[in-house]
Amino acid sequence: MLNYNQTIKDQKSYQGLQMSEKNPVMKLIIRGKKREFLSAVGKSLNMVLPTKANTSTQSEKLTALWLSPDEWMVFSNIVAKENINSYETETLLNKNISKLNLGAVVDVTDQYVQIILKGDKIYDLFEAGSPFNFNEFRNKIGSVTQTIITKVDVIIHNQNQNEVNLFVRRSFSEYLFSWMNDSASRL
Amino acid sequence: MFLINCPFCGEREQSEFKAGGEAHIERPKQPTELSDDEWAEFLFMRKNIKGVQFERWNHAHGCRKWFNIVRDTSDDQIKAVYKMGEKPPVK
Repeated sequence: MLNYNQTIKDQKSYQGLQMSEKNPVMKLIIRGKKREFLSAVGKSLNMVLPTKANTSTQSEKLTALWLSPDEWMVFSNIVAKENINSYETETLLNKNISKLNLGAVVDVTDQYVQIILKGDKIYDLFEAGSPFNFNEFRNKIGSVTQTIITKVDVIIHNQNQNEVNLFVRRSFSEYLFSWMNDSASRL
Repeated sequence: MFLINCPFCGEREQSEFKAGGEAHIERPKQPTELSDDEWAEFLFMRKNIKGVQFERWNHAHGCRKWFNIVRDTSDDQIKAVYKMGEKPPVK
């Protein structure tokens, strides 16, 4: 990723909680409704998009999150090269989906900041600022939710037991991170 | 504060949603033939009743989809939730 400016500069760690930004990672939003769209995405990415609400699917390289009945976020599990500004996956999807008018592919790499949280206090932290009920979410690896934390829209993905990916809009990321630090220091 | 059962995402808190006003208001077929009063009636006039009301809601901080709910405005009890384009349940 060319000229990528990190918004969250430091890695923070508390008892039972570590937080850091992962970057730069390719992120795409893909939208479409038709059946041909789903099969075209499946063929291009070599993975199935999750059709069940609040779930995700994962392949070796990519993860797809369910956002809405016709909207998904696809992000790479691997950190991108710093001197390149295009992604194989995006080019492929553009060719197989956008060009054929099956759906839309939008690069949101710079729009979203991916924060990785680890530790057994993650949900205590979330519960301090979110109206979402995490009881079911925390026990089901792969679940996804879009909700609000201290009035900031976030996408949360349960990556593993005690490991969570959080996506937040770039302009809100510094605020959210400072809130999380403040809140974590008092857990 | 109350919970809304989004037809797409499941049960969520009300602060994730935006209210979209009264549902099932039909747009006039020939707006050009209406008088100003009739047009204003369609645009602005809403019932604002105390009791069971049909409303549109948007899951703004979630899936961003619109849907309808039947809500009692006096105690915020939700009687039914149904998707856009579906027939409203009969009371």
